[in-house]
Amino acid sequence: MNKYVIRNVLLLLFLPLIPVQHVFARNLTGEEIIKKMEANQVQKSARLEGVFIITDKFGERKKTFKLVSLGTDRTLLEFTNPEEAGQKILRAGDEIYLYFPEAEDVIHLKGSALRDSVLGSDFSYEDLTGEKGLLDIYDVEAEGMETVNGRECYTLKLTAKNRKAVYPGEKLWVDSELFVLRKAYYYALSGRLIKEMEIRKVIKVKGKNIPVWFVMEDRMKKDSRTTFIINNIQIDVPVDPGIFSLEELSW
Amino acid sequence: MRFLVSLAWKNLSRYKRRTIITVIVIAIGISLYILVDGFLLGAEKDSERNLIWYETGAAKIMDRDYWKNIDYLPLKDSFKPSPALVNTIKDSGFSWTKRIAFTAEMFDETGSLPVKVYGIDTKTDENVFKLKETLTKGKYLKPGEYGVLVGAWLARDLNIKLGDIVTIRTRTRLGAYQVIDLEVKGIINSPNPMINKGTAFIPLSLADRAMEMGGRVTEVALGMPEWASPDKKLVLLTGKIEKSFPGLVVESWRELAKDFVSVSEGKRGGTSVFLFLIFIIAMVGISNTMLMAVYERVREIGMMRAMGMKDSSIRIAFLLEAGGIGFIGSSAGIALGALLTFFMVKYGLDYSSYLGEMDIGYRISGVFRAAWDLKAMVYAFFFGVIVSMLAALVPAGRALKMEITDCLKYQ
Repeated sequence: MNKYVIRNVLLLLFLPLIPVQHVFARNLTGEEIIKKMEANQVQKSARLEGVFIITDKFGERKKTFKLVSLGTDRTLLEFTNPEEAGQKILRAGDEIYLYFPEAEDVIHLKGSALRDSVLGSDFSYEDLTGEKGLLDIYDVEAEGMETVNGRECYTLKLTAKNRKAVYPGEKLWVDSELFVLRKAYYYALSGRLIKEMEIRKVIKVKGKNIPVWFVMEDRMKKDSRTTFIINNIQIDVPVDPGIFSLEELSW
Repeated sequence: MRFLVSLAWKNLSRYKRRTIITVIVIAIGISLYILVDGFLLGAEKDSERNLIWYETGAAKIMDRDYWKNIDYLPLKDSFKPSPALVNTIKDSGFSWTKRIAFTAEMFDETGSLPVKVYGIDTKTDENVFKLKETLTKGKYLKPGEYGVLVGAWLARDLNIKLGDIVTIRTRTRLGAYQVIDLEVKGIINSPNPMINKGTAFIPLSLADRAMEMGGRVTEVALGMPEWASPDKKLVLLTGKIEKSFPGLVVESWRELAKDFVSVSEGKRGGTSVFLFLIFIIAMVGISNTMLMAVYERVREIGMMRAMGMKDSSIRIAFLLEAGGIGFIGSSAGIALGALLTFFMVKYGLDYSSYLGEMDIGYRISGVFRAAWDLKAMVYAFFFGVIVSMLAALVPAGRALKMEITDCLKYQ
């Protein structure tokens, strides 16, 4: 997962700012829909607390976390559940650093290590990186309208412009009223559906629509999914830029 | 001197029970040493062979950055083997084959497991590896087909049978997700456990297409006939490659299998301690025996000295006696050790039920066979004799320090 998931999963979750859009725009092009959706994700800062629930063949595990973000390129996530308490993930642009309190060590993730799963979830560290928008990576084609969980959505077909895209093909369902993502399919190079994401709940904060319940499902595995739930969120609050430094990470 | 030898021999036969007990102690120590040493050597030799035949070849040529990050098998650091490179390899006398290695997740109906997948050139892989010979079920791969050979343990863990369709999910050279459906064409049961437990093989042309390699490979594996030593030729080839292809490196199987080499060296160190303990036990037995022998005969020593026999001659007589015990004990130990080693070389011990798939570092699947180590046998024999003689020095010296009159009155 790279740019797309960054934008549509983590950014939506971590950088929430989705102004209410009462735009009736059934005749928009695919690119216009993407631009409106991405415009909703721009925000100054956010503080939130939540939980992600990992479900797989071994059962269900809950990981609670606190997260602070500033702009679109700085995020600090700290786990608060007893098993991983104090573990931190710092994202600064395309760089990812991990801090393990027991080892008192900071690890800079590079290369293939970025593909590793975050604590066994269906998300990888790679999902946290990336700056480009979807339109930089994909050609977009509007396919029509469908209803997802009772919401009318645009359906978009995304085809990677080059061979470097993590998901060579995607299909998105974008809420035609709120311009938030409601559902997404991710395809492999061979065309096989490999992952599915669904946004099950959107709340209004300071007049903005914020997705607060995401489910990412691995379609190649039985009963494998990761659910993100945001319990408490504040947006556009003052955030000290100093907390996104390596020095602060190990304190 | 002949008199002293004769005296030592008579003393040996005069105290038969004591001699026999000491000989048994030495023989057990020596035979245990030979057996353990043979087992370790056997495990090492089998592992080396299984590494070279099934995992590493004699050496591999790789991109320099690929070698630095080989734990991650980075496809982006692959290279195109040019005709000039191939000619250099051929001129150096090595056989060769191309491979693409990558990590993937293999799925069947019930679950998934991480696997290491090799794209192999079905026509030339046999030049370097003996994979084809370990095919226990099914057929070997044909070029370009959507088929896969899987290790026996992996097949069991995923409940895969011949003809089943399995799916692998991986990332292409450029980073995109890729999913491929493959028919299980064959099951491999290799003597190398690394191949059995998490490895799959697909045709090179399929790997090239699916992983978007564009003719690149991750490694060119080099082979040598079993009887030939590749080391000297490797040095020459490495020099040529470094000069003409600065982006590439040549790494021998020892470098490629550092985990095994370090485990092997570590175990050798641990075993030396174990063998040292065996010798300590044997030495204590010999010392005790010689101590008793000397103190039993203090009056005899006094009498010999009173009759004019030199201290040095008496000391030599005791040393010869101890040496005699060491000689008989070591000979018996060698014979017993050789007998045990013979059976262990021929039949070995099947540890598979105890070890299962436990990774103990060696590349052996189950049956551990010993190997003959003549050097260690000679070493153990002389060690047994010399240690026995040294063990007699102290008690003999103490008896010789006593006054002759005290010796004669000694009870």
